[in-house]
Amino acid sequence: MLWYKAWRESRARFLLSAAALAAICVCFVWFRADTSGGISDQRLTYSVYIWRIIYKGYLRELFMILAILLGLGGLMRERDYRTASFTLGLPVRRWQLLATRTAVGLAEIVLLAMLPAFVVPALSPLIGQAYPTSQAWAFALLWATVGTLIFAMGLLASVLFTGEFTAPVVAFLGLVGYSFLANMPAIRRYLTDIHDVMSGMPNFTESTGLLTGPLPWSTLLAVLLATATLIGIGAGVTNRQDF
Amino acid sequence: MPDPRVIETHQLTKRFGQFAAVDALDLAVRADHITGFLGRNGAGKSTTIKMLLSMTHPTSGTGTLLGERIDDPKQNCEARRNVAYVGEDKQLYGYMTVEELIRFTRSFYADWRPEVAKRLLSEYQLPPQRKVRALSKGMRTKLALLLALARKPQLLILDEPSEGLDPVAIEELLQTLVGAASEGTTIFFSSHQIAEVERIADRVCILDHGTLVEEFSLDELRENYRRITFGFSAKPPVDELRMPGIRRIRRADRQLSVLVSGNADAIAAEGRSMDAVSVDVVPMSLREVFLESVQAEA
Repeated sequence: MLWYKAWRESRARFLLSAAALAAICVCFVWFRADTSGGISDQRLTYSVYIWRIIYKGYLRELFMILAILLGLGGLMRERDYRTASFTLGLPVRRWQLLATRTAVGLAEIVLLAMLPAFVVPALSPLIGQAYPTSQAWAFALLWATVGTLIFAMGLLASVLFTGEFTAPVVAFLGLVGYSFLANMPAIRRYLTDIHDVMSGMPNFTESTGLLTGPLPWSTLLAVLLATATLIGIGAGVTNRQDF
Repeated sequence: MPDPRVIETHQLTKRFGQFAAVDALDLAVRADHITGFLGRNGAGKSTTIKMLLSMTHPTSGTGTLLGERIDDPKQNCEARRNVAYVGEDKQLYGYMTVEELIRFTRSFYADWRPEVAKRLLSEYQLPPQRKVRALSKGMRTKLALLLALARKPQLLILDEPSEGLDPVAIEELLQTLVGAASEGTTIFFSSHQIAEVERIADRVCILDHGTLVEEFSLDELRENYRRITFGFSAKPPVDELRMPGIRRIRRADRQLSVLVSGNADAIAAEGRSMDAVSVDVVPMSLREVFLESVQAEA
């Protein structure tokens, strides 16, 4: 039943996130004629338009913020709500609580990452366009993987910081700081900007509007390792905390 | 034969910086009793309970809960299967309904008694479909008790259970605790309300500044605890009065007020032999012992 608890605590955030992502996807596809002018003066191919507005654009940024929000919660938040003593009085270990919350959160991240892959290819024919399903699922994989890392940043922030807004602000600043670092000329060659990973760079070819070549598996693996590390740190800190 | 001590601590200490919330606490709580854990606000009662349940980590010292080490997460988790805990806040998951929370809690305990849960739900008049966040504090306390008592825990730990309840709700709570004890559950509850401890407890531990200052049964209190007041014609000889049973001595002008936990007749005789012009021996109430204990330590 820890699954049920984790689901109930994140349900509203997840459903609102899913509704927002889906609605914006629908709008971007349906109102392409109105929105494409806002991202480029030139006439874009449909694939490039989708990439610019969804996989490299506003939706990507929104997804990252939502991933942070889904990572929030846990025992520190329960301490604020004064339910931590009830939870910790149950015959479960702290790592079980964290593991369950993490598993539910990661599942939600994966589902959110898959949303554009469902919506865009399905809706495109209704406006007389086509978007390759394989491309959409490749981006879903990139988003899901990077999403787990952003989720882990939110989770770690919520383990370390109390307060309704402190944890999300710290996680968001961490994300911005990481991107800033990753784009510094001296560091750029050693650190990959996760924004770029989500956008399929450098495998995206703008002339065709498609991802080409193999996916960056080593980068994705590194992202997953970083995710596991952050969650591991979160578990270690949680075990030592007083409530 | 099971260990008669359900809770045992040795030199248990919790420091927050320089402040010792619990200071070298040696505590033993016996099975099959209702033990009141008395102390002023901030005496360290809640911190002690949180350490017992592994919510807070001890700075030093050791302890066991139902024979399982409190500083071993695995062992403590095992102990909690047989412990029911009602926290000070009685805050439960506000987003669940009463029914959902019962179903959720039930899933963790093999000894859940559905018929008891149903009976208590009816007795406490808790609306199953109402969100927990919409319950009054009194109803939340009842729900917390239901979740604790629908099992048959070996040990029920309550932290300030009557806090914020009206007199009727307190009465119902005390009756419930007595009922649980009669079914074989050991009860350990913290309080700073002396009257309620006196009503239902058969053993009392008094904590002050994180240290155990008194421990006795109420029978021992009635039979052995006395205040002996000696009147002297000159300055009282405090240092000469050293005998077993003397807990505390206060001097005021030409009087010595002695709190004794036994041996009262011999101590009174000793006072007389020291030229006391008057000796007054009176039984002590729990309130008096409590005030004497915590004021002496202040």
